[in-house]
Amino acid sequence: MSAIAKALPNLRPEEMEDPKEHLMHDPLPRGEMNRMVLESMHTTTWKYWTVVTILAFLVVTCLGYAWYYLIMQGLGVSGDNRPVYWGVFLVNFVYWIGISHSGTLTSAILRVLKIESRRPFTRVAELMTAFAIVNAGLSIFMHMGRVWLAYWLIPYPNERGIWPDFHSPLMWDFMAITTYLICSSLYLYLPLIPDLAMVRDRSKGWVKTFYKIFAIGFRGTEGEWKNLHLAMNIFAFAIIPVAFSVHTIVAWDFAMATRPGWSSSVLGPYFVAGALLSGVAAVPIVLFFVRSTMKNMKYFLRPEHFDTVGKMLLIISMGWAYFYFNDYIVPWYAGDKWEKILTLFIEAGPQAWLWYLMLFCNIVVPWSVLWRKKWRQTPWLMAIVGILINVGMYTERYIIVPEMSTINRMPFTWHIYIPRVEVILTIGTFALFLLLYFAASRILPLIPNWEVQEGQEGHILRKIGKAKIPTISQID
Amino acid sequence: MPKELKSPTSSANTAQDVQGIWGMVVDQDLCTGCQACVAACSMENNVPFVGEVDAGYGRSMQWIRIERFWQGSYPNIKATPYQPVMCQNCHNAPCEPVCPVYASVHSLSEDLNLQVYNRCVGTRYCANNCPYEARVFNWRDYMDPRQRPELVTLANHFNPDVTVRRRGVMEKCTFCIQRIRHAEDTAASENRDIRDGEVVPACAQACPASAITFGRIDDPTTKVSQAADTSRGSHLLEELGTIPHVTYLAGGA
Amino acid sequence: MSDSNTLLAVFEDIEPAADGIGKLHELGVADENMDVISGIPIRPAILERPSAVTRVGWIALAGAILGLLLAVFFVWGIPYLFPLDAGGQPIYPVPQLLIIMFEMTMLGLMGFAFLGMLVDSGIPSYTPKEYVPEISDGRIAVLFSCPKEEQRKFVDALTKLGAKSVEPAEARQL
Repeated sequence: MSAIAKALPNLRPEEMEDPKEHLMHDPLPRGEMNRMVLESMHTTTWKYWTVVTILAFLVVTCLGYAWYYLIMQGLGVSGDNRPVYWGVFLVNFVYWIGISHSGTLTSAILRVLKIESRRPFTRVAELMTAFAIVNAGLSIFMHMGRVWLAYWLIPYPNERGIWPDFHSPLMWDFMAITTYLICSSLYLYLPLIPDLAMVRDRSKGWVKTFYKIFAIGFRGTEGEWKNLHLAMNIFAFAIIPVAFSVHTIVAWDFAMATRPGWSSSVLGPYFVAGALLSGVAAVPIVLFFVRSTMKNMKYFLRPEHFDTVGKMLLIISMGWAYFYFNDYIVPWYAGDKWEKILTLFIEAGPQAWLWYLMLFCNIVVPWSVLWRKKWRQTPWLMAIVGILINVGMYTERYIIVPEMSTINRMPFTWHIYIPRVEVILTIGTFALFLLLYFAASRILPLIPNWEVQEGQEGHILRKIGKAKIPTISQID
Repeated sequence: MPKELKSPTSSANTAQDVQGIWGMVVDQDLCTGCQACVAACSMENNVPFVGEVDAGYGRSMQWIRIERFWQGSYPNIKATPYQPVMCQNCHNAPCEPVCPVYASVHSLSEDLNLQVYNRCVGTRYCANNCPYEARVFNWRDYMDPRQRPELVTLANHFNPDVTVRRRGVMEKCTFCIQRIRHAEDTAASENRDIRDGEVVPACAQACPASAITFGRIDDPTTKVSQAADTSRGSHLLEELGTIPHVTYLAGGA
Repeated sequence: MSDSNTLLAVFEDIEPAADGIGKLHELGVADENMDVISGIPIRPAILERPSAVTRVGWIALAGAILGLLLAVFFVWGIPYLFPLDAGGQPIYPVPQLLIIMFEMTMLGLMGFAFLGMLVDSGIPSYTPKEYVPEISDGRIAVLFSCPKEEQRKFVDALTKLGAKSVEPAEARQL
């Protein structure tokens, strides 16, 4: 009796949060939602065009001209040298492949698991996937010594009778990334078709022609929906193992080599965890900027979505730490001579600060912020956490690629690596990524409107006892 | 040398394919570290000079290098024997299967690692996977007089038997395969087998101390086989199981 | 129904649309003479409609098998035609085959699922079709054919059930 009385002053009716905070329980007329999405696409300010101009300039100079210079001069203008044959280009490659996991995870896994709060932000993440794979491919091409012969990796019949060698992990990589690029582009496109049809219905002139072509005559008949649904289901299930395989094979590029540090059997899953970490961490960054710079997006992208991403991020960060510790403790305990030297070099060598930065950004930051719901629901804080995790993951790849290859079994050849033209080209790839995203934000509807509407149709508040409880019914 | 790590006497497809398995013995007790082999190799194989800056950054392209270390801390230091390192022409070469375009292939008949320059696309995976760091990469067009006139000092003195490589191509010691081919052709035209000592790579030819011996290791009567079979012999990084064709002799002097 | 008209009835919401379809059933319109066009997918049972037949699954399966065979050709067929030795690895390796097989199977599966979706839906097609743009605003359109002479009766019945408009469907450029 007294115990209840004591508790009473703290007893608040919620716990009961306002269901209107959730997009799914805050429906608007569909016509209104379509108008809002169209308005967000059509609104451009001078700030937008300024940023686009700067990005375009960066792409032309830092990517276009610098790459031309690199190709004409040879890789001597990069920082690679004898032990460090793979430098920042490979770091970028691994990083962008990691970023590309954002779309797959948030979209495919959440779709398969039927996590309802995924609905408004799947496309924001899927777009990142498509553009990140483009950048990953570019990074590989920059890395190649004779990029003008890159087509030799394609298995096609030729008069020389020479085919690519499928013994090579790089060929697995080539096949995996091709598969991933094609499939994730289609996976981006499939749920886009009904939205393109929506835009088509509401545009005029040559713009309408553009959308008419890409909406491929979709109307929304029963058969079309059924086929679309089945195809999307196949994609959602099939693209998850493909994404895992892509990053596992990226890890195998390193793990198959007979080098201390790289030759590790846990590298595959460890890389997958790292890819998920940096990929999912990129989602709140993009969500934050889309939400705060584009019109009407505050209705669609809400704190609850940051909350969903934050929870995933915390779990993935723990998973990453688990795999990293696995990769760390086994060689450390075994005490192999070269592994010992390598560990010492990474933790106490001239670039040791990178190692501490990695541990701080990947473990300390997420673990100290993401456990609290209120912080997870603060968009700017989540964006900062996302940026820090991405810095940490970039550092992790830098440690794995150039730092680890500095130490090999021939001490005579040890050499510190200093990036040169790579820095400019890295800026170029980031500018290209942003430019593509900026362009896409005004060409494609960033919100999968029909999916949001489908979800809102199925969400109802059901009165149980004295409270209204959110319930979900599957209308499809 | 443990028997199980010796090269198989033949992995050729057919008996007719067997042309001899070539190997080398480097006697570290004789090596004086004079670098004559490095110079001779560069002349023979058109290996470019990369200039001071690039060489200082770890991009020198010599196919053979003389490694030398100091043991202990100053002033109580002891120099280790000079160790010339070139491509070990492994039987199980880690560099070969990782090439996506078959630029790094194995000669079944001679058990040599071949590098096909005009097939190479420059992924540099082979160099990463070489535990001996024996491969070198053409970081620039070092041989193009338009780019670096001061480096191309011997432009009119190229060896016509060896390709000049351009930027973006991986290369490595070939055991002077052009000399092996020449000897084979001569022997074939005279309808005889190659005599022991007929093939001498540039490094062995230049070595004033005769520290490098070259010949067929599938024939136990050759000088190189007998030299390799002493108790002083060892292979570099033998524990990796690459079965290299270069034997180092040390510790007997 | 040789002498029949195609009508397009537009409803505001799911409930009246379901009623309207029930009425059409009553009036003797068979399910195969009816189609529903909507802005969001709706489970067929809600509208008392049979589930649409889809062949996307089979097409995707065929694609997967095709991809698998292609992988076998890549990893085992190519070395059979042009054997080259590298690094003492077998000419016909199994682990590499598994990796390439997985990737190509998945590529075939998903590529053909996409193609199957297109082929089975009869798209891309840019010919004029029966459609009203309001559908993507949440309206539900029921497309059905009825005998020409009874058209009036159908229009009245559906309007009474809440159809916003019931008009002869006219194919127009989307």
